[in-house]
Amino acid sequence: MTEHLNKDALFRRDSVLLIVDDIQPPPGLSARTAPRPMELGLFIAVCDDGAVHAFNGHVDLGTGIRTALAQIVAEELDLSPGQVNMVLGDTAVTPDQGATIASASIQISAIPLRNAAAEARRFLVEKAAGIFGVPAHDLVVTDGVVSTGRADDNRRLSYAELVRGDTVRLRVSGEAPLKPVDQYRVVGTGTPRIDIPAKATGTRTFVHDMRVPGMLHGRVIRPPYAGIDSGDFVGTSLLGVDRESIAHIPGIIDVVAIGDFVGVVAEREEQAIKAAKDLRLTWKPWSSKLPDLSSDLAGALRANPSKPRVVLDKGDVDAALAAADQRLRRTYVWPYQLHGSIGPSCAVADVGADGVKVWSGTQNPHLLRADIAWLLECPEDGVEIIRMEAAGCYGRNCADDVSADAVLLSRAVGRPVRVQLTREQEHVWEPKGAAQLMEVEGGLTAEGAVAGYDFATSYPSNGAPTLALLLTGRVEPVAAAYEMGDRTSIPPYDFDDMRVTINDMAPIVRASWMRGVSALPNTFAHESHIDELAFAAGVDPVEFRLRHLPDERAADLVKATAARAGWEPRTARRTIPPEGDILRGRGFAYARYIHSRFPGFGAAWAAWAADVAVDRKTGEVAVTRVVIGHDAGMMVNPDGVRHQIHGNVIQSASRVLKEQVSFEGSAVTSKEWGGYPIMTFPEVPDIDVLMMPRQHEPPLGSGESAAVPSAAAIANAIFDATGIRFRELPITAERVREALNPRALSDQSPAPLAKPRRRKWLVAGLAGLFGTVVGMGVTALPWRAPIAPIAPPGANTWSAETLERGRQLAALGDCAVCHTAADGIPNAGGLAMETPFGTVFSTNITPDVETGIGAWSFAAFDRAMRDGISRDGRHLYPAFPYTAFRGITEADMQALYAHLMSQPPVSHRPPETRLSFPFGLRPLMAAWNTLFLRNGTAEPIPERGAEWNRGAYLVNGLGHCAACHSPRNALGAEKTGAAFLAGGMVDGWEAPALNGLSKAPTPWTVDDLETYLTTGFSESHGVAAGPMGPVVAGLATLPKSDIRAIATYLTDLDGTATSGVAAAPVSISGGERIFQGACRACHSDGAGPTLFGVSPSMAANTNVHSDKPDNLARVILHGIQNPATPDLGYMPAFKDSFTDRQVADLLAYLRTGFAPDKPAWSGLENTVARIRANPGSH
Amino acid sequence: MPTRPVERTVSLNVNGASASVTAMADTPLLHILRNDLGLNGPKYGCGLGECGSCTVLIDGVAARSCVIPFPAVAGRVVTTLEGLGTANDPHPVQRAFIAEQAAQCGYCLNGMIMTAKALLDRNPRPTDDEIRRELSGNLCRCGTHVEILRAVRRAASGSAP
Repeated sequence: MTEHLNKDALFRRDSVLLIVDDIQPPPGLSARTAPRPMELGLFIAVCDDGAVHAFNGHVDLGTGIRTALAQIVAEELDLSPGQVNMVLGDTAVTPDQGATIASASIQISAIPLRNAAAEARRFLVEKAAGIFGVPAHDLVVTDGVVSTGRADDNRRLSYAELVRGDTVRLRVSGEAPLKPVDQYRVVGTGTPRIDIPAKATGTRTFVHDMRVPGMLHGRVIRPPYAGIDSGDFVGTSLLGVDRESIAHIPGIIDVVAIGDFVGVVAEREEQAIKAAKDLRLTWKPWSSKLPDLSSDLAGALRANPSKPRVVLDKGDVDAALAAADQRLRRTYVWPYQLHGSIGPSCAVADVGADGVKVWSGTQNPHLLRADIAWLLECPEDGVEIIRMEAAGCYGRNCADDVSADAVLLSRAVGRPVRVQLTREQEHVWEPKGAAQLMEVEGGLTAEGAVAGYDFATSYPSNGAPTLALLLTGRVEPVAAAYEMGDRTSIPPYDFDDMRVTINDMAPIVRASWMRGVSALPNTFAHESHIDELAFAAGVDPVEFRLRHLPDERAADLVKATAARAGWEPRTARRTIPPEGDILRGRGFAYARYIHSRFPGFGAAWAAWAADVAVDRKTGEVAVTRVVIGHDAGMMVNPDGVRHQIHGNVIQSASRVLKEQVSFEGSAVTSKEWGGYPIMTFPEVPDIDVLMMPRQHEPPLGSGESAAVPSAAAIANAIFDATGIRFRELPITAERVREALNPRALSDQSPAPLAKPRRRKWLVAGLAGLFGTVVGMGVTALPWRAPIAPIAPPGANTWSAETLERGRQLAALGDCAVCHTAADGIPNAGGLAMETPFGTVFSTNITPDVETGIGAWSFAAFDRAMRDGISRDGRHLYPAFPYTAFRGITEADMQALYAHLMSQPPVSHRPPETRLSFPFGLRPLMAAWNTLFLRNGTAEPIPERGAEWNRGAYLVNGLGHCAACHSPRNALGAEKTGAAFLAGGMVDGWEAPALNGLSKAPTPWTVDDLETYLTTGFSESHGVAAGPMGPVVAGLATLPKSDIRAIATYLTDLDGTATSGVAAAPVSISGGERIFQGACRACHSDGAGPTLFGVSPSMAANTNVHSDKPDNLARVILHGIQNPATPDLGYMPAFKDSFTDRQVADLLAYLRTGFAPDKPAWSGLENTVARIRANPGSH
Repeated sequence: MPTRPVERTVSLNVNGASASVTAMADTPLLHILRNDLGLNGPKYGCGLGECGSCTVLIDGVAARSCVIPFPAVAGRVVTTLEGLGTANDPHPVQRAFIAEQAAQCGYCLNGMIMTAKALLDRNPRPTDDEIRRELSGNLCRCGTHVEILRAVRRAASGSAP
């Protein structure tokens, strides 16, 4: 970032040439904004230090206007572009030229700048002429140095020298001669963007990178009415803030709540993040208030109150249609879409005694200044907006919202605060690109001429007031209607009888302008409809357009584009023989983007010839090639224009094929890129750009135009390929598949549901069983005697070999896994384990005398391990797997005792275990033991070999694998026999079967299992997660021979595994969309990037093939934060990003896609809800 | 009330320099790089590993720094965009991106360059399909894909594609 300039300071300084002008700031976009007074705008400052500053009130949204404007100034001033410091959108210095919208920066707001540059040049050259004593027209300027240009005259004066000692302020007269276009050296040539080297090397550029001294970090918490900004509940729903709920988080500075605005401020960013997640808020209940925006968008738009505005009524449409030979009445629907900035919005604000400074990525610095002044109830000149670059916004995103958020938090704490919105907040709260409904009726005469064209469009959107104004109650949350549905609403064709009606309406959900504002949808309708009319008339669609297109530049462009694409005239859909299941087609569309307040004016012209390939089985559509013709008049930076065209083609193709905001009930549920997938590299079409040579025409906006014909060109191409007209976007594979194979849907009928569980019977059975046990417990076994405490033995009691052996056994036995609380000290106990009978807390097994096992003799330890009796004689609950430990050899038990007693003692008393009645009665455990505690140890089976027997000893002894991997009976005892190691549930995780009932798609081999147990990952089975993660971490420290033995034993258990199944995703559904957007990068089965950590295959994943979706659901919701080994990598938790239904969709997709031979899981949404509510402790 | 979060002090090796950082143990590496080490290259985009804006290299492999807790890189070598080259002396991959003007807003650029760097170190002559596949997990909303692909090809071949 360069020096921060200030207009007043420049006005006060000496030795400077300033070019100024009286300007009328445009009216604000918000109805609230009052007419703004004239102001003295500064456009150019030439300083005596050689600096030439140029000022424009617009901002660079990533389109490269900073470079193009610098080129314009450099051209008029005969400088190189690098000599111009182009300052954009800083309210302290740049003129108020309104919002950066409607592709108007080069076309409109560059004009005064160019005149100002010409004014400066005239003054400087005339001054040099006076000094040199030659006529001004005899002088030449090269890179800001004036000379006569004669070889014999070496007099030179730089601009800096010319202004030195002189202080001049000139108004733009408009009379300074502009350089003739044929003398241009800079404008019209490809010029490298000024900003890219810094961005490619990480130099501070973005508002996200801004740091100021003393800066704190803030996060906001948004209300539950996700994405809705009108209604009496807005700003009035917050009931309570529980500040104590974040008292455990260090670094918290403040919690700020004003109306429904809530924010937290902390010293460090991660502290603010955690606080925003943990802060408990109470909101008023909020019930469904939205119409159905998912399955009946057209109906919702029709029902939204509107006011018709006829913007064109030519001839007699009704009479013409009545007399028509054919009438085509069609409805077109555009979905809600996201701007989808890649960087969620961010801002830094400093509210101090001497004013308010906001570093912002806003699209409209001057309007934001007015909003902030209104919010703080202070004068506008006390607020400075410093515009820094942000992620591309393509319209109104959350940049203004977050700026106001930062202001409120900074005001509260009296220090600068940086606020970063989350991905979820940006997705949910950005003002959406509005849905739109177009209803068209066109007629044809018997001769094929157009007989009437009646067009109506409904656009529910407005300026989306800055959120903080609504949440704090500074602005009434009343949805206003904006007259913005009229962009490009009048078709470019000269039909005799034509009517265009705009149904102005207020937003339904928060919505505002997005690239191609209402013009993309309107053109989708116009250009789809004219294609239908052409075929109905039996005329080639390109020829039909040309017949009705009065604009010669448009006609030239259409012809040139058709020729470049090799357009083959046709009077009906072509029938190209399919290649296998692939149908191919080509479509055409044309539009000139007409924007700004009606009737508006035209930006660049654009025409598309799009090629598509449609898979008739899956319904997938690929745009394979786009030939795009573009006429932008003079192109200041042709490279920049070409890049804008590429970007518009790719972004609009993405919108047409993939993009639609999802809603559930009354909330936006597209919260990340799985819920809203966009086009990725493998899908990008070939793009052939034809730029019309018009360098002598005025420059026209190019930031949006190229996108406008996209939807119709693609839809027309799909019609060419399939014979089906798609009139509602996005044209997803599902929609195409459904249209091509109406019966295919029945193939997806869900598998038969599992029998409902007989819960009542189960409860009765339990009670009965327990009754029996109680009876036995009372009579069978008495309370056991305590064993006397001892003084802890010294660490030198045992040999190094014994201690190492003990360490290995403790690792094998995973003692620390259960005896360590989340984030707690190892072995100090306190881990909460959910059992069907209540919560069991693990005990402290460090040698602390008071709270641990420091006073335990070996005899006490041995009894606890083998019989489940504590030193004091109390029974332990069988969550402690003493049933497995009975078989441990005496020597191993001694070594384990030695290891534990030589660890550092930790004084920590874990919470008391409290089980529901009657399970809380510890003596009953004696009865339990009578039933389930087997005596003695398993005998070795010599014929299986030493390795197998060693494996059996480790698995069934200290390894206690069955504690998790065997199902338990109604009384919590491990089942035996056929159910031994047949899979169990632990802490909400499914521990998969290790015996022949394994659901693994590929049978485990000894090698696979050995690798898995030591690294936590097997290519053919997936990763260890949940409680298995720390198990592997422990196993990894054991001798390889022991791991081999375990693998040998486990893979030899009875039964054969099911046969292997290849991955075959067969359907594209909501779940697949989520998978593509959220999961695929890391789970691509080799079709994606190589990333740190493992990339587990879904097809090979045992959990996908299991009878239960629990493990998958758990990993998706809660992620893997503690991988078994550090090399595995991490998986994020999606619980805050996905709804239950989205997770259910994803699970359904994973099941059908990757385990197609297995029955569908049922009750998924409930399962997900249950697992969300019970996160467990692993 | 939940217990106070555990803090960790970890020595990091980033761009050839070592730095000791103390923070809550689950703090993503991204925030440490940006806030404690003042590195602007890696960007916050989604926090879910979906978009690639935060990509850094860990032991030379592309990694999503937004989902990796910082203690996980103890003992490993981390490289960020700043560790490749500077504006005055860019790394060949950065130079290729600048030459192809492969940025519109440029927010995703870090991820594109870092992912391309990791790919080219592993496979100096990737096919077009391999480049697209490698970048398939990096999102760009401006639609700069054409220029980005050209930049990676240029970096691979050492000259304009």
